[in-house]
Amino acid sequence: MEQRMLRNEDFSLDDEHIALRDAFASFFMKECPTSVVRAAEPNGFDAELWDKMMALDVTTMGLPESLGGDGAGLVELVLAAEEYGRALAPVPLVETMVAGRVLAASSTNAEPWLRAQVSGERIITVGLQRAAAFQRQLVPAGAVADAVIALHDDALILVADSPPHRQVANQACAPLAWWAPADDNEVRLVLAEGEDAHRLWTQALLEWKLLTAAALVGLSEALLDRAVEYVRNRHAFGVPIGTFQAVSHPLVDVRIGIEGARRLIWKAAWFATHEPPQARRFGPMAWVHSADVATHAATVCLHVHGGVAFTLESDIQLFFRRAKGWATIAGDPRRELQSLADVLLASDAEVR
Amino acid sequence: MDFALIEVEPDVEAFRKEVQEFLDGHLTAELIAEDRRSGNGHDQRFHEALGARGWIMPMWPVDEGGAGLDPLRAKILALELAWRQSAWVSISRLITTTIAIGVRAWGSDALREEILPGVARGSVLMCLGYTEPDSGSDMAAAKTRATQDGDDWIIQGQKMFTTGAQNSHYVWLLARTDPAAPKTQGLTMFLVPLNTHGVEITPIHTLGGERTNTVYFDGAKIGDHYRVGPVGQGWRVVAGALDAEHRMGRIEDRGIGDDANLGTWQGLVHRLTDAGLRWARTAHHPDGSPVVDDPLVRERVARVALDSEVAALLDGPMSKVATATALIRNSADLVELFGPAGTLQAGEDGAVCDGEVEFLHRFAQGTAIYGGSVEIFHNMLAERVLGLPRARMLPPRERS
Repeated sequence: MEQRMLRNEDFSLDDEHIALRDAFASFFMKECPTSVVRAAEPNGFDAELWDKMMALDVTTMGLPESLGGDGAGLVELVLAAEEYGRALAPVPLVETMVAGRVLAASSTNAEPWLRAQVSGERIITVGLQRAAAFQRQLVPAGAVADAVIALHDDALILVADSPPHRQVANQACAPLAWWAPADDNEVRLVLAEGEDAHRLWTQALLEWKLLTAAALVGLSEALLDRAVEYVRNRHAFGVPIGTFQAVSHPLVDVRIGIEGARRLIWKAAWFATHEPPQARRFGPMAWVHSADVATHAATVCLHVHGGVAFTLESDIQLFFRRAKGWATIAGDPRRELQSLADVLLASDAEVR
Repeated sequence: MDFALIEVEPDVEAFRKEVQEFLDGHLTAELIAEDRRSGNGHDQRFHEALGARGWIMPMWPVDEGGAGLDPLRAKILALELAWRQSAWVSISRLITTTIAIGVRAWGSDALREEILPGVARGSVLMCLGYTEPDSGSDMAAAKTRATQDGDDWIIQGQKMFTTGAQNSHYVWLLARTDPAAPKTQGLTMFLVPLNTHGVEITPIHTLGGERTNTVYFDGAKIGDHYRVGPVGQGWRVVAGALDAEHRMGRIEDRGIGDDANLGTWQGLVHRLTDAGLRWARTAHHPDGSPVVDDPLVRERVARVALDSEVAALLDGPMSKVATATALIRNSADLVELFGPAGTLQAGEDGAVCDGEVEFLHRFAQGTAIYGGSVEIFHNMLAERVLGLPRARMLPPRERS
């Protein structure tokens, strides 16, 4: 029944991966301390930080070289996204990376929009639910985007509005906005139709979820690092509270969760590039697990700090609010287990 | 980063074929079924057949009784053994090969000569003598005494959960040689021949269907050459063996995964997944509807598969914790999902998956306890991975 495959299990990063990750990490460390995150609330967008990132071409790294990018693959993008998440950077990095790749893979009439995105003139995002005229959806980065790419009936469309969409206040201070395609859109471009449209949109969803999953892992690790630092130094009953197992063991579980989520994401990203059918299994796993891990990390790491992390003064609350906010933008993460079941229960499934 | 299918060269493919044919002939369904009935955990004929090919210590050099396998061939062997449920008849092999690492590192030349060739050949088996009635996770609290008597040692005390003792020739014994010394400094390691006069083995039967033992030592006298490492250094000696058992640190990164996991309980999480999926594909609800259309069923079998994947992705102690947790949680959930027929035992009319999950639900509980409880692994990870200060575990009277 199940095929048993002999596979490599190599999670090591090569020098280029490490250099890329470190470059993103030091950029965010320098340019995006939590004071920047706070200053960008409640809108969740820092135009100055975004300009700096555009200037470094980091938003175009995932585009083919022929279109002015670096031809980076999903593995590289998830490494970058983890650092973005660690810093809670208030910029539409994930949406821009994903939208850019959709445009690059679309018909030629997308090119002006891709150029406008690359030049920084326009911000383009993706709708994560099927679009319908009377069914509005909350779109990530919708409040700062000039255009939305979405699947409408059997067409992948790009819709641009003249009036910007208003941000709706939300727990994560994310630039979310309600959106639905309307008849009076100024621009309505068909990027792909039929099977091509579905394929491109499915790929965009997978990429958005993997990049956001990576961001959630970065966020979780940032929380864990802060919690570990705190419990090493905070004393109670004459000892550091990190010596109490009621404190240390839940933190170990967070560590284990992070490690598993990161490895699932890497595997999914690698497969998406090299063996796309396998990504149908690992993609949903990575998304569900990362969402779980982030919720768990946020809860545990807030709790071990005690009351101090329950205050708005504490940075922990910044992470806590985004852990849930980011994991929910695409809908109930657990629903993804249904897609996973589709793959697993297909008769020809490779169980491992 | 690389997860590609390994394209095997013809000679490696031939090796795989050799392994498969060997296991077809030697690791039969009857042999495993017999072990499930007896809970013995070991089959000597199968073990010696492995040994004859050097596959007990497959990466050891040929002149030491190994097969000198490269990492890829060793992984192929480990995978085939895992896929075919060899774990049921490999308990003593896994324990023996772990202890052999300690003997190799600390034993005298004479002892190494007495033990190691036999380990590789399959004629020498060993069991662990760590746990006592009054000490489990707090291993260094061992009370079993070893008292010097001229050139000999006299052993007095009791060890528990000495799994495989009934099949073994030696027990790897942690004994107290200096009751006056601080807890971890008064310990010494010995390898005690189990046929020594004054050693008695009595069986313990577990909820998981396994046989384990209590071993009593009543004035058992052994020669000094059965001492492993210096007197009073037992804790240091055992730390190396424990690290190997816990797969903590020094895990060789071969880029093809940590196949040591496969010998342990990860295979069981996969079996749980397979059982859940097999059931979901074919079973019907009492109202006649196929369970495969039920979102509740779909979500839960997907969750089992996800947990099983995570357990397999992790290495060492993290994998141990994730595996035990996944086994316990998911076996319980699958039994519920199957309904009352999920509690029927193997061989019964209508037992779901022939009672496999019913069995795993019982068996799972032990995986979080033996080989180091998950709490001990949490302590270890807190200290070594998170860098937290060591937990203070002092008896109340020593607290300030």
